[in-house]
Amino acid sequence: MSAAPATKANAALERYSALFETRFASDPLSEARRAAFDEFLKQGFPTQRDEEWKYTSLRRLESRAFVPGAHAPVALDAARQPWASGAGLRIVFVNGHWAPALSSLEAQPPGTTIVTLAEWIKHEPAAALEYLTRASERAASSLEQLNAAFFEDGLVVQLAPNARIDDAVHIVHLWTASDQPAMSHPRIIVRAGHHSRCTLVEQYVSVGDVEAFTNPVATVELEAGAQVRHYRLQQESPRSFHIGHTNVCVREHAAYYAHDVALGGTLSRFKLTVCLQESGAHAELHGLLAPTGSQHLDTHTRIEHIAPHTTSAEEYRGIADGRGRCVFNGKVLVHAGAQKTDARQSSRNLLLSPNAEVDTKPELEIYADDVKCSHGATTGQLDETALFYLRSRGISEAQARILLIHAFAQSVLTSVELPAVREYLEALLTERFGPVQVNP
Amino acid sequence: MLRIDNLHVRAGDRQILNGLSLEVGAGEVHAIMGPNGSGKSTLVQVLAGREGYEVTQGSATYRGQDLLALAPEERAREGVFLAFQYPVEIPGVNNVYLLKAALNAIRKHRGEPEVDAFEFLALVREKMKLMQMDESFLNRGVNEGFSGGEKKRNEILQMAVLEPTLALLDETDSGLDIDALRVVANGVNSLRRSDRAIVMVTHYQRLLDYIEPDRVHVLSGGQILKSGDKSLAIELEKRGYDWIKQAAA
Repeated sequence: MSAAPATKANAALERYSALFETRFASDPLSEARRAAFDEFLKQGFPTQRDEEWKYTSLRRLESRAFVPGAHAPVALDAARQPWASGAGLRIVFVNGHWAPALSSLEAQPPGTTIVTLAEWIKHEPAAALEYLTRASERAASSLEQLNAAFFEDGLVVQLAPNARIDDAVHIVHLWTASDQPAMSHPRIIVRAGHHSRCTLVEQYVSVGDVEAFTNPVATVELEAGAQVRHYRLQQESPRSFHIGHTNVCVREHAAYYAHDVALGGTLSRFKLTVCLQESGAHAELHGLLAPTGSQHLDTHTRIEHIAPHTTSAEEYRGIADGRGRCVFNGKVLVHAGAQKTDARQSSRNLLLSPNAEVDTKPELEIYADDVKCSHGATTGQLDETALFYLRSRGISEAQARILLIHAFAQSVLTSVELPAVREYLEALLTERFGPVQVNP
Repeated sequence: MLRIDNLHVRAGDRQILNGLSLEVGAGEVHAIMGPNGSGKSTLVQVLAGREGYEVTQGSATYRGQDLLALAPEERAREGVFLAFQYPVEIPGVNNVYLLKAALNAIRKHRGEPEVDAFEFLALVREKMKLMQMDESFLNRGVNEGFSGGEKKRNEILQMAVLEPTLALLDETDSGLDIDALRVVANGVNSLRRSDRAIVMVTHYQRLLDYIEPDRVHVLSGGQILKSGDKSLAIELEKRGYDWIKQAAA
């Protein structure tokens, strides 16, 4: 039913076409890029008529003219950016471009290869091309196609069987001020060999009040028995547009843990798809969306139970303040034959202001008959009785509110295993909602 | 210590307290009894500062201050404590944190320094022993997953740590088995002091076997219809409330 490219054409698509022709016409991946871009043009930007995008409009994104982000030197105040210092594996992209001076990839444990996407394409062009072409063919949405057409750099993490990265791999995407609104389409590829383990911290930040568009796509493949813990922190400026996709494939007895925190952007939409491909595959998703001001933060998750004896647990929390809007849609799809599936999902939301809005929707689609699936969604204000209880113990009203907000976010924070990340998140919540004091 | 004069309280369209007067002196324990819906819980909640009630007439004076003009947290810092009928579960807020924050809020108000961490823990452990509470309690969320009895013990534990001047107990005995009742009563009795007053709302004379009141009041239709000593409670247990209502009519 999709319309012909000609009828979908509009100013936005023409702008992207012009950019595409000038930048990527003679690229080594031009064929794959061209195919993806044609598909993007065919689909166009999704509209709210599309059920997947019912609550999130991209019209503001479409109306802006973004140019690919430019190289920029950055002097960072490490004290203000905890991620910018410290040991371990760190890779930093500034305006979409690898910043070697800020990165640190020396300490790679045996059996692991961590390289930038550009390096990978340069050194293993055949493997890279094969992988990227295959990935583009699978990409379903138009924005993933846009990424496949426009990506310039990113990261490839490969773990050999049984390899372990004990330190987290920290991936930072940073925006700095530019003359024109800039865009970046980073690509992250993680291939975890059987029984390998790693932790990724994927972080999106801005320095200053930057207007930008980030459109990252991550692909994570877990072979049998692998374990991947994947933190994703979106803290871009309040004028940023962020559309993210992460596609995960979990094989036999492998386990994927996602921690999705969205605090930034004027418009943010993250789609996380997890395929539990083989028996014993397990996924755990934790999320926290906290819009304030006029922020619109949206996460869509899709968990596909494809094989029998697969398990998933999902817990999302939304805290909407100001005129902020929080959208959560959690779809669980149990394929025919995926017997003994165990899928649990919970979405709890807190409205801190009369003008805030939450749209939450659990969706279950089940084609097997011997499964355990549960879901629950709640939206409410701070509990008046709990507020009174705390105040009746001498705690001020303002402090009682802060305590209850932090308490609400606790289930997401306690799921964070990395102490540094947990402390960092606590600091972010304190910055947003105020400090919990020992002496209120 | 506490003087309530001609108190009228409304919740929405419903008049709940209808000219209630009561005087509680330092060192005294008062029991307030009465049929369901007579306004017992409303009285203690209004005294603790619960929102949603409108005082249309009358006053409550606590140690010479207009109690009703104070915010709930100010009342707590001035030494008023309400043991809730239904203590609230607050997952994500740690029990010890709340106890310490509450104690420090009161100390700060009195111009005292923050409590020393070791002294505080020693104090809490001592009071937990008194209330026969398990160590694991320390690291749990406030009332999180507690049984009804554990929640009531926790209320009295908080009271024992905070050492209020005026303690209001709202049906602290309800839902307790006889062993738990004994522990809770023991906790309350340990707090009896010449400079402290206790007002307890209860349905049952049973509690008064363990905590002996100086005065017993019968609350009905939003007013105190009859007051007496503890023998009044025994008479109520035998005869119910109707004879008092009839006598007052």
